[in-house]
Amino acid sequence: MTLLSLPSRTDRDLYPALMSPQLNAKYPADHKAFVRIDVSLRIYWHTLFDICPELLELSGPDGMSIFRPFMAWAEEKKLAFDWSYYLWVYVWLRQSPFKERLLADDKYLRSIMAASAARWAILDRGRSRGIVIGCADTTDLVIGWKCRNVRLGREIELIEPEEPLPAPPDLFGYFTLPSFELDIFPGWQSLAR
Amino acid sequence: MRLGFNFTLGDTYDMAQRLIGEGHIDYCEFLIDNFFCVDPDELAKAFDCPVGLHIMYSKFLEADRPTLVDFAARLRDYIDALNPIYVSDHILRFSHEGRAFFHLGEIDYSAEYESVRDKVVQWQEMVGQRIHFENYPSIMDGGLEAPAFFERLMKETGAGVLFDASNAVCANRNCGTPFEAWRNVIAKAQHFHVAGYRQSLIEPFISLDTHAEALAPDTLAFLQNFRSVFDKSGATMTYERDDQIEFDDIVVDLKALRDLFGQPEETRHDLALTA
Repeated sequence: MTLLSLPSRTDRDLYPALMSPQLNAKYPADHKAFVRIDVSLRIYWHTLFDICPELLELSGPDGMSIFRPFMAWAEEKKLAFDWSYYLWVYVWLRQSPFKERLLADDKYLRSIMAASAARWAILDRGRSRGIVIGCADTTDLVIGWKCRNVRLGREIELIEPEEPLPAPPDLFGYFTLPSFELDIFPGWQSLAR
Repeated sequence: MRLGFNFTLGDTYDMAQRLIGEGHIDYCEFLIDNFFCVDPDELAKAFDCPVGLHIMYSKFLEADRPTLVDFAARLRDYIDALNPIYVSDHILRFSHEGRAFFHLGEIDYSAEYESVRDKVVQWQEMVGQRIHFENYPSIMDGGLEAPAFFERLMKETGAGVLFDASNAVCANRNCGTPFEAWRNVIAKAQHFHVAGYRQSLIEPFISLDTHAEALAPDTLAFLQNFRSVFDKSGATMTYERDDQIEFDDIVVDLKALRDLFGQPEETRHDLALTA
């Protein structure tokens, strides 16, 4: 067995590495710490590509040409990995070698916006009922609704407004809805990192 | 021992109803914060059986006080409307330095005891209710300290432990936490979880609490060996299944649990009265 110089007694010792492929590589592959970090990293991978499988068309089947550089960029930017995880992937893709192919087909953007709306709807515990996500690359809006009925799950809607809202000042913007109606436009909020 | 099923979102509603109707389960456990936008009275009418309320995302170790006060106020509406058998939550980490884990983190039981104890006391005060806290499926060796941590936590805060038997099996396989070390915790606990687990994809293999497989032989053996410590008046065991949700497979596992523990002495309505 390789000697491990990094602390690894507790899970807490590994916290910084749980979202960092670069730090994972510093642990010997035959150590349980490496496997524990690998388990964590796989969930970031699956959260992205299981929900937005179209992205594998850009990257190839293992997704690594997107996943590794995105995670390194996210670490540099200290991204919170909240509900906006997918939107930040799009921000990264737009400045990556994949940009041209990404912008050639709006299915990628639709999938990314829907994924983030769904993640908000399942994870947010504030009092808002819905979220509206807009993007400067489209006039379409995506809405995520929290579970409103014991027989239902979250719901995602794609809206193509007859009168488009003003574009968000940044690439993405969002606002939340206090009821299960889209009847307000309080202005765009920028994504938090 | 009364058996229950975890109800996390509406797509398993019909199956949960069928499990109740056919007598495979005696109560339902709501992942309650998934339903915070459903009217409490509607939720109270959802199932004709007692319910438990399991909290997933209070993040009470990390969230600020105003956020927790608001969460507790909304939770209170559901406690009042549903009169649950128990309310439970998790002791774990959702983030590090403001960045979210997608596979949640285990705390350092030695270094964080005092701080967690104080937050448990505050959280129970805010909710106005005894809360049962679930043990983590430990991977790293810090998990050896979990049984003493939970025993002390119960003694010093009045909190309960929602003892997850398969999490203890994972911890036993991953870091060698002896089942015997949990004996006092199990003896004092009234509410339990159980589920399937699977191995990691790469070696050295670790066991992961996945809620997507059948109950493992060593999980059933653990329950069998400690049967008399688990089973007691008012005890409940929730079977958790979050993926690969097939009715017949779930019934096989529930029947195994029934065979092990026998039919409960209390009826559904007795169970509600023991809350």
